[in-house]
Amino acid sequence: MRGQFLLLPLASVAIVAPAHATVYLTVDQAQQLLFPGAEFVADNRMITPEQEREIERASGISVRNRTLNLWRVSTGGWFIVDQVIGRHDNIPYAIGLDTDGSVRGIEILEYRESYGGQIREPLWRAQFIGKRHGAALTLKRDIQNISGATLSCRHIADGVKRLLATHAFVIAEH
Amino acid sequence: MPSSLPSIERARPLLGTTVAVRVHGLDEKDAHHAIDDAFQEIALIHRLMSFHEPDSDLSRLNRDAADRAVEVHAATFEVLKLAEEMSQLSGGCFDITVAPQLVALGMLAAPDSRREPDPQATWRDVVLEPNCRVRFQRPLWIDLGGIAKGYAVDRAMEILRARGAVQACVNAGGDLRIHGPDSERVLLTPGEFRGDSLPVLEVENAAVASSGSAQPHADSPSAPHFDGRSRQSVSKGGFVSVLAQHCVTADALTKVALALQEHSEPLLRRIGASAHLYDSERGWRHLGI
Repeated sequence: MRGQFLLLPLASVAIVAPAHATVYLTVDQAQQLLFPGAEFVADNRMITPEQEREIERASGISVRNRTLNLWRVSTGGWFIVDQVIGRHDNIPYAIGLDTDGSVRGIEILEYRESYGGQIREPLWRAQFIGKRHGAALTLKRDIQNISGATLSCRHIADGVKRLLATHAFVIAEH
Repeated sequence: MPSSLPSIERARPLLGTTVAVRVHGLDEKDAHHAIDDAFQEIALIHRLMSFHEPDSDLSRLNRDAADRAVEVHAATFEVLKLAEEMSQLSGGCFDITVAPQLVALGMLAAPDSRREPDPQATWRDVVLEPNCRVRFQRPLWIDLGGIAKGYAVDRAMEILRARGAVQACVNAGGDLRIHGPDSERVLLTPGEFRGDSLPVLEVENAAVASSGSAQPHADSPSAPHFDGRSRQSVSKGGFVSVLAQHCVTADALTKVALALQEHSEPLLRRIGASAHLYDSERGWRHLGI
């Protein structure tokens, strides 16, 4: 174990993770991880106002986007790409559902939530300053991790609840 | 760092937060398998130690352990053992039997328990018996929220190491562990930003956990923690990041450092950890090794 506390001057830091979204997986990669070897046929749906009301009544979560990014899976089941609004930005995530509508797995595709509001502006500024000074630091020297007060994943849990209701009223019945 | 192999990172909603796992030094397929297994291990720890799942080990203990010895999973038993050690070392400041205080505040829903917790109950009333059996000497409610997340991070990291990851990071909403020959920088976010510099821990083969907020009355996402002796909230203690060998230790020590402040120095030194405290009035203070 080794560790050292540092106060880094803003101008010397190139922020990698905080200033850019962390991209974990592409849609293709998430599909192959959740349903290995399967093929996927896009089957996008438009949620009707009536379905929207049913989903909201059943899940208690409001439907923000009536376009459902849905894929039919060759080995059975469904793959959906959805977004929830976190504290500052959208969080895109993918969910795999088995034929009966049970959750097979969830993968977060991108994350831009790693930092609090107070520190966000200075970080953007730091990135700008770094560029202006032409700071070219190696990846090893950049900041890759953030530790602070724990962020809740309630928004994702709410999104999953909404998608399970969407499965019941939009996918399973049609 | 072997540059021919990719660095692969994935994230899932687990442990009530977002858990990210990053692996370097394995080919893509092996990396994904290792990450899958790491997530599965974290999900297992969550299921065993959840306060709200009625079938979790924790719920069974809160329901039955005051009446009879309850057998739990080896992982749950290990966490209870680590919690007991931390309670001993901190003179009862760290105490998993503060759950009734969290329930009273509405941070946790009251468990399905036949008996009300005894207000006199402390960590000393949790008796660990052979063969992973646990008994409570008085009716009490335990919550492992202050230690299980760090434990889950450690277990996930053990899997990544066993699979041959050269450099790896497991980050459960800011409680994290880093493994490998390269040092990495961890940005500390007390919820307040001042001046022209960023607080960073540069670490190698170590864990970092954080608790609290520089502005405890602001809209803070973190749950309050309680001093086991006074049963008072420690949230006025500001923000702290703890550096330790294991994440379970770092996680537990954040509560102790917030409660004991400067008095946690001997304990931190004994364990081989450091605490970095921040509040609006005093700025940064550093304790321990």
